[in-house]
Amino acid sequence: MSTPVLETENLVKVYGKGATRFDALKGLTFEIHEGESVAIVGKSGSGKSTLMHLLALLDEPTSGVVALGGEPVTALKPKKVSQLRNDTFGFVFQQFFLNPNQTVLENITLPLKIAGMGKSERNRRGMEVLEQLDMADKAKNKATNLSGGQKQRACIARALVNKPTVLFADEPTGNLDTVTSEIVEDILFGLHRDHGITLVVVTHDEDLAAKCQRRLMMQDGEIVTEEHGATGVHA
Amino acid sequence: MRSVDVARTALGNTFRSKLRTALTVVAIVIGSFTLTLTSGLGAGVNKYVDTVVAGFGGSSQMFVMSTGASDAEPTDGPAEYDPEAAASTGGMFGPGSGGGVLTDSDIEEIEQIENVSSVDPMVFVSPDFIETPDGAQYDMELDVPANALGLELEAGEAPGEDGMELSIPADWLTIFDTEDAEQVIGETVEIGISNVTGEQSTVEAEIVGVSEEALSGIGATPMPSRELNQQLNDLSMEGYEGQAQNAYTMAVVDVENIEANEQGVKDALIDQDLLGLTVEDQIGAVQGVIDAVSWVLSGFGLIALLAASFGIVNTLLMSVQERTREIGLMKALGMSSGKVFGLFSMEAVVIGILGSVIGVVLGLGAGLVGNAWLTGEGGPLGAVAGLTLFAVDPLAIAGITALIVFIAFLAGTLPAARAAKKDPIEALRYE
Repeated sequence: MSTPVLETENLVKVYGKGATRFDALKGLTFEIHEGESVAIVGKSGSGKSTLMHLLALLDEPTSGVVALGGEPVTALKPKKVSQLRNDTFGFVFQQFFLNPNQTVLENITLPLKIAGMGKSERNRRGMEVLEQLDMADKAKNKATNLSGGQKQRACIARALVNKPTVLFADEPTGNLDTVTSEIVEDILFGLHRDHGITLVVVTHDEDLAAKCQRRLMMQDGEIVTEEHGATGVHA
Repeated sequence: MRSVDVARTALGNTFRSKLRTALTVVAIVIGSFTLTLTSGLGAGVNKYVDTVVAGFGGSSQMFVMSTGASDAEPTDGPAEYDPEAAASTGGMFGPGSGGGVLTDSDIEEIEQIENVSSVDPMVFVSPDFIETPDGAQYDMELDVPANALGLELEAGEAPGEDGMELSIPADWLTIFDTEDAEQVIGETVEIGISNVTGEQSTVEAEIVGVSEEALSGIGATPMPSRELNQQLNDLSMEGYEGQAQNAYTMAVVDVENIEANEQGVKDALIDQDLLGLTVEDQIGAVQGVIDAVSWVLSGFGLIALLAASFGIVNTLLMSVQERTREIGLMKALGMSSGKVFGLFSMEAVVIGILGSVIGVVLGLGAGLVGNAWLTGEGGPLGAVAGLTLFAVDPLAIAGITALIVFIAFLAGTLPAARAAKKDPIEALRYE
């Protein structure tokens, strides 16, 4: 078995205090291995988004440990955590969060700009990724002029541009119609299959979840069942 | 994120909502324009005063007046009569400024002070007329000889100690039917003066110089030599036996090695209820007033800037609110809070730089054009020789720009801190 790229131990997240106390996560322990595709599935309020935020180091657990490549990250300084996120993770959001005033190329090279890469190198890497996703002809377009599917492809390009080890996708097809959804799913699973990228998908869409190798079914802050084996087209 | 990218991104963001940025910048422009203009005005006028002072050189002279302290005690109702005090204040040439006049005994006392080499009591005379060689008579007022040091000459030289000499202002050339100042040098005029009994007599004097009017007013009236002044005074006092004959408005005192002995002489004068002022003291007082006026005006500029800084706070707070999700995204993608803070305070600095540069350029333009128009040939103040109303002081300009950029940065810290504090998850969820 490959090394766990992400692992958690007794992960607890509590919001509020006293009467308003809400246990979002009730002690989760699991591992995600390099090159895996994992779906975190559950209804809204099941704690799946909270879990993704903790895994993606966007939030800190109330107690418990998140370890990245065997190293616990809870103790790290915020600046170091930011840097880790920038280096190792790619994010695909349901809402695209593209800056409408900037070109597609400027939008997708934002992680590299944050990393402190020079402009020409940024643009070279950005064009590479856009070509990979058949978006090269849109590089100079303003992000606001794209269709929904193109926007999501731009988001994926942005998530890939820093060559991440783990790609987090939060309801990646939530805002797309069926045909476009399939195209985006094909891209995501193609990346997983062809480039060995670790894929963590958060969704309530059973069809999308079915295409992942492993599914963590969440309910009320706990993993109620864990299914293995992709049942979808990419089995 | 590289600093150059922070700066470039901040610049781009500043122009995202152009109208809002423009309005904020306008507020700063008003402040920086005012500051540039007032500091330039102060610098210009002080520069002019400096050039006037430079004409005086390292003068060893001190002007001595009576402070009138012994009789200046305010009383309720009429003060009791004191013959001695009355003698020193009641002279017919009393300056009426609360001070008294100098008497012969004062002059003697001044002569006793250490390091005083000579004392020259000064009198004002009021001649009746001046008569040109062709017989025409004109009304005239005379300046005092002690002011000769401040004379700006167009031709000839200043009237000296001895000899019956005087200078005339340039606009008096018309009475000689000429425009060439050199032509009147050496001309002889007669000056008529009445004595206390009303009898008129005349003396002859030679024109040795033609003066331009300085800002101080010196040079606007004819200036006699000391001897001429004394002669005219003697003539006007004929037949008068009272105290006033020996009352002087001020005395010009020569001090040996004035640099070292200035304070000692002044202290000794104060003991005699006398006040000694050097040329620099008097000019310094003028410059002090100019500085005070320009500081008050600058104060208005600063108030404008203060108001403008709230404009920056407001603009950036709105901007932070609008870009909540963008901030969330940047933080999620690994931008540190410090860099987010840097980005937004940089936007404030960009606004500050824009406002200060535009304001300074407009202020310099207005100042220089205004100065050229007012003091240039044919301008309302064109007759005042060597007058500058506006000067460019690079240090002050740099200081104003730095101050505004700093104020802008300070104004930006509140919104920037708010942006930096945003939680990426909350920010990404923000609708």
